[in-house]
Amino acid sequence: MADGHAPAGAHGFTGPDGTPVGPAPAVRPFLVTAGRVAGTASGRPIPVETQMVATTAGIDALERLSFEQHDIVAACRRPQSLAEIAARLRLHLNVVRVLAEDLRADGQLSVHVPRTDIVRDASVLRRVIDGLRAIPDSRGVLRDSD
Amino acid sequence: MASVPSPTPGGYSVTPTEPAAQGGAVTAERPPLPVKLVIAGGFGVGKTTAVGSISEIEPLTTEAAITEVAAGVDDLSHTPTKTTTTVAMDFGCITIDPTLKLYLFGTPGQDRFGFMWDDLVEGAVGGLVIVDSRRLDDCYAAVDYFEHRGIPFAVALNAFDGTVEHSLDEVRWALDMADQVPVVVFDARERGSVRDALLTVLELALSRTEG
Ligand SMILES: Nc1nc2c(ncn2[C@@H]2O[C@H](COP(=O)(O)OP(=O)(O)OP(=O)(O)O)[C@@H](O)[C@H]2O)c(=O)[nH]1
Ligand SMILES: [Mg+2]
Repeated sequence: MADGHAPAGAHGFTGPDGTPVGPAPAVRPFLVTAGRVAGTASGRPIPVETQMVATTAGIDALERLSFEQHDIVAACRRPQSLAEIAARLRLHLNVVRVLAEDLRADGQLSVHVPRTDIVRDASVLRRVIDGLRAIPDSRGVLRDSD
Repeated sequence: MASVPSPTPGGYSVTPTEPAAQGGAVTAERPPLPVKLVIAGGFGVGKTTAVGSISEIEPLTTEAAITEVAAGVDDLSHTPTKTTTTVAMDFGCITIDPTLKLYLFGTPGQDRFGFMWDDLVEGAVGGLVIVDSRRLDDCYAAVDYFEHRGIPFAVALNAFDGTVEHSLDEVRWALDMADQVPVVVFDARERGSVRDALLTVLELALSRTEG
């Protein structure tokens, strides 16, 4: 956008042979997404707890992917939340949102946006409550059940 | 609040990957259903400490963008001045079972500014507002936010030095909170204490689904 570099598009940062071009990843977190902001169909950004997991196609494509996209797919061999990926790769949440959307569109990442109505799902809440009750405090004492 | 339609059964509206013919099969591992709870409060009240006490991972920090609504009003347009700020928020998680995972997100401290955490809070089952009993005022913003958004929340009075300077009723009165808002005394460093405060929030959220 206003960064003075020629807009390169989502996939514009690797040369024909896959060699990355442009500045080092550490100094271009916003550049990689060319100013775009990803969102769900409703227009909202995908929530921070959205789960992402690499597809076999993504794992197969690993060596062809550029730095950030490579790192995201590699980190998602096991399911990870959007927030975890951003934190572990030290990328801005919105950068991961955009890159994840590209990877999803290319079939390399499966992106699971949680339903918003789980907040009213009593059975889910009960399972969380039961799970938490089973956590002992630092002295090993369980919560009195009531 | 408007009710949100549920597109698919099973906890997810899955954004589908490309069909196998174009993109290859999806790996087998199905992610857990994430349940999100937000921990809010003023500066230095113990948010990060609380997350760290109960999280199964070391609390992680990530940069997020929030829209800050400045307290003043733009004279010409009579609209509040909004700026997007990048803030650090931290979080942890608790695996309930292989299909269910609780995420705890600590909002950045905030005081006199209005703020919009909608990006962060959207879809949260509830909120825990931590209050330093010596600085009650600092939590107004968070209490206000959850009340306006209709998100179930409880107030946890952090007993720094082991003493609470106000009775729970005084706190409720000072914060002008509805009677239904639970207020508990807690110690952010104690796992059992944090667990019980989270349970208070979740039980409130559950009671709303039944009410
Ligand atoms: N005595 C006592 N100290 C605490 C307690 N909780 C937190 N602290 C201390 O208070 C300080 C601030 O705690 P944090 O958890 O960093 O607070 P925070 O709300 O995350 O702070 P910000 O993110 O800066 O807004 C740290 O030095 C903690 O060790 C408590 O329950 N009792
Ligand atoms: Mg903190």
